[in-house]
Amino acid sequence: MSRAGVYLIYGLAALALVAIGLFAGRFVLYLTMRVMLLAIFALGYNLLLGRTGLLSFGHGALYAAGAYGLGLFNLHVSHDPLLGLLVGVAFAALIALIIGFFCVRQTEIYFAMLTLAFGMMFFSLIWNLREVTGGDDGLIGISRAPLLGLPIGRDYQFYFLVLACFALAVWVIHRIRGSAFGLVLAGIRENHQRTSFAGIPVKNYRLAAFVVSGAFAGLAGSLATLLESNANPFSAHWSHSAEPVLVSLMGGLQTFSGPLVGSVIFVVLREVIERFTENWMLWFGVILLAIIMGLRGGVMGGLEKRLGRARAARPGGAS
Amino acid sequence: MLESFVHVCLAGLSKGMFIWLVASGLTLIFGVLGVLNFAHGSFYMLGAYFCFSLLSHLGHNFWLGLILGPLFVCLVGYVVERYFLRYVYHIDLPYQLLLTFAFVLIFDDLVKVVWGAGSIGSPSVAGLSGSVRILGRLFPSYSLFIILVGPLVALGLWGLLEKTWAGRIIRAASSDREMASALGVRVPALFTAVFVFGTWLGAVGGGLAVPYVGLLTPGMGESIIIDAFVVAVIGGLGSLKGAFLGALIIGLLSSFGTRFLPTFDMFLTFILMAIVLLWRPQGFFGEEAAR
Amino acid sequence: MAKKKMTRRDFFKAGLLTGAGACLGAGVLKPTGLWAAPAKVKGPVKIGYQAIMSGTLAGYGEFHKMGVDMAVDEINKKGGIAGAKVVVEYRDSTLKAPEAIKNARYFVDSWGADFLGGVDSSGQALALAPVMKQLGKPIIITHAATEKLNEIEVFQKGIKEVFRISSPTYQDGNAAAFVAKDLPAMKWATISPKYEYGYTCWSMFKNTLAKLKPGVQFVAESWAPFGTTDFRAHINTILDAKPDGLYSVEWAGELISMMKQAGQAGLFNKIKHVMLPVGAAMDVLEGLGKEMPDNIWISGRYFFQYPKDKRNTAWVASFVKRWKHYPAYVSETGYSSIYAFKQAVEAAGSKDAKKVIAALEGMKMQSPAGERVFRKQDHQAVYTVPWGLTAADPKYPFKVMGKMVVIPAQDFFNRPPFKGPESMPPFKK
Repeated sequence: MSRAGVYLIYGLAALALVAIGLFAGRFVLYLTMRVMLLAIFALGYNLLLGRTGLLSFGHGALYAAGAYGLGLFNLHVSHDPLLGLLVGVAFAALIALIIGFFCVRQTEIYFAMLTLAFGMMFFSLIWNLREVTGGDDGLIGISRAPLLGLPIGRDYQFYFLVLACFALAVWVIHRIRGSAFGLVLAGIRENHQRTSFAGIPVKNYRLAAFVVSGAFAGLAGSLATLLESNANPFSAHWSHSAEPVLVSLMGGLQTFSGPLVGSVIFVVLREVIERFTENWMLWFGVILLAIIMGLRGGVMGGLEKRLGRARAARPGGAS
Repeated sequence: MLESFVHVCLAGLSKGMFIWLVASGLTLIFGVLGVLNFAHGSFYMLGAYFCFSLLSHLGHNFWLGLILGPLFVCLVGYVVERYFLRYVYHIDLPYQLLLTFAFVLIFDDLVKVVWGAGSIGSPSVAGLSGSVRILGRLFPSYSLFIILVGPLVALGLWGLLEKTWAGRIIRAASSDREMASALGVRVPALFTAVFVFGTWLGAVGGGLAVPYVGLLTPGMGESIIIDAFVVAVIGGLGSLKGAFLGALIIGLLSSFGTRFLPTFDMFLTFILMAIVLLWRPQGFFGEEAAR
Repeated sequence: MAKKKMTRRDFFKAGLLTGAGACLGAGVLKPTGLWAAPAKVKGPVKIGYQAIMSGTLAGYGEFHKMGVDMAVDEINKKGGIAGAKVVVEYRDSTLKAPEAIKNARYFVDSWGADFLGGVDSSGQALALAPVMKQLGKPIIITHAATEKLNEIEVFQKGIKEVFRISSPTYQDGNAAAFVAKDLPAMKWATISPKYEYGYTCWSMFKNTLAKLKPGVQFVAESWAPFGTTDFRAHINTILDAKPDGLYSVEWAGELISMMKQAGQAGLFNKIKHVMLPVGAAMDVLEGLGKEMPDNIWISGRYFFQYPKDKRNTAWVASFVKRWKHYPAYVSETGYSSIYAFKQAVEAAGSKDAKKVIAALEGMKMQSPAGERVFRKQDHQAVYTVPWGLTAADPKYPFKVMGKMVVIPAQDFFNRPPFKGPESMPPFKK
């Protein structure tokens, strides 16, 4: 696929998203927002997993940090959504910095288990600090005040805020991947010893990648809190941390668009399965199995392999 | 006070040994295959359900159920390894995790379809249903039995790995896969065998859980798998000795935590896990160069 | 099963449209047969119902469905709701708030539900309240027990769309205190779930009992995290405190595990008065079987032995005949929620949300659990559920209630405006 072809696809996708915002019914609107939030979460996450090669099981905690950051700010300080989002993202980045500081000392499975441990500590804090967090009831009654004078109370209004954040996230993450920073991260994944011999402080780069991906998790979490008008402790649980892993792997780790496509598949597939059966876990698991066994490298990875002949001459050119 | 202390200790020991029974299989599989098996909790669950089913069909002989039930689960384990897991050893670690995670979803719902969604209260074991009086307070005989079985299983595993021909091959393959292969060990077959054996250990843990927890529910594997993970990690991934010690520590920590520091229970476990990972990621008995 | 019916129905609908187009000419001229049948309410009445259907609590989803399916079949057999057929679709709530919201939005915005029902977790119910206001359709909660739902979301914040047909935490906390005041126990302790439900019930029990029986002491509390299977350390904590009474709002599988392990530890020999506010759940009684000791105080949101009237007896008999199971309390609340909608729609003469909400407010209905009245101010159904002492009965393979104590709901339900001691029991006559 040519560069123009890729731009065309992204252009069409953007157009489709705007069209959904203008014309779609309330449920499609809502589901699309859920897809976009998951995509922000997964795109940021894949900076760590796909790009840097670090598997984290603690990003649910960072998502929750964004959610509770915005939630507490909204309930106790100000209803301003923009400030709230900033607070949420900043809080998530701060927590990511603290957790990351410890976790980047290890790699591979040990890194995964460390992030799991810290993530679950954060979950335990949310669950037990009832006076602040509302315990398992979570934070409820979070409102959507106008953003710079524009009302976002209704779904079709709020949709465009989500879309704007989503577009911003896609653009920023794309830029990061192409930047010198992003290339160093890829270098770390390929061979961290060589990168380290080249005089690059590998741990600092890992930490930076962790914080950046945490900030996007926080953005997704705080937007979700505005969307659902509540923050809940299960968002910090490890099982929620598994979601971006799932999405990235389904879509394809080594492609930029993988997490995007994975998010669409994840949400739509679940929705479709639930219309036919209450045993959705069974069928979801079977399809997951098929994706892993049939398309190692995810849907986009598999697609690329098939479409890849023409592009093979120009590696790294597309998406 | 002494009676309370002793009983908190006993409760911690029985909980620890119970987790050990499940974590041993997880650890063995990780040590040899290098796969962190999320589905181990499902094997535990299947072990419990098969054991219970046989129990109700075989005239309530718990021991017969305990012997036969896990064999069915071994068959499931064989299919999982031979036809699925084998094909993802060479690709990224996350894909292996995801594969086993897919099986968790599938088995959780399959149990619901086959045995029903409701919880099943299970019968107690004839001969071990009573309690023993220790320092004026009753302690369940079955919990004592678990406390005894744990070290026996550990001893058995140690004997198998250290003293037998099969054990030497397993140890050789776990420390250097290529070398073992070069020396003529059929590594794929060995992996299958170890996976099935690990599955069997998990299923036996499930069978023993039937009277211990007193309850069967779909999704019952999820609560034990995290405990088993923590234990396997604290002991140093792949180290059976470490896992045994880790299980003792987690059991006692949770028991004393519940009694004396109730606000922090889960927090304590995970902070211990983090400290161990930062301080000695290779575990208590691991060497620096361990995987 | 309902799902299959739905897709088939959609298929029929498509066929009907083409058929209708073809028949229009003739049909308009001469309205006969189906065309002439007068339906007071147009189209099917669609109810979206969500409950927990996966994981360790999946059994509750099954129990919900048994009750709801029964109500739907009965109603449709007798001509539906005001001439319109009732259709129910189920979804797994998974106990997580975002999933509950997605389900509700799916039901209303995509499937076209007129009403919603179900919901097991308190967190989900609270998260759903503002969403229901936005969606503008009524929901009847059939299990989640938090009193914050009626006191804060409905009464204080004025969310009109939320109703609850099952009894709230008042049954677990306040009513238990009314029973406990007549027991000789003076020192109480608890093993309860380490989440809001557990904390709330215990504090309600303590406050009310302290008012009813000055001098009573609360000597120990041990909180068990969600998913606890090993209660031995908790049981030790309680035994150390040497209370005369144990109060526990553990429920479902965890209660079964706790009771078995407490029995093995000899707890019931040392503590004579044990109160289990949700011990009368069928999964617990059946799961424990003979291992449930005698003389344990149990209650629930409904118990099949009460009231001993014709309506309930007949209902229980037909339930057992159909499902080979005694009705769980969520079966009754699910069943009655469908009838509540039926009665409200028929009273309103329409399935319009606003009219149905108005009809539900203050509505009095007869149900297997007895007479229920939806309080106008907070949309909480007021009805009485007994407390009872467990006893063996040769008619049943599990323990049932022997001696029953019936405290009228009006005496222990918190009252509007839910502020100050006057809103909480005991009330002056």
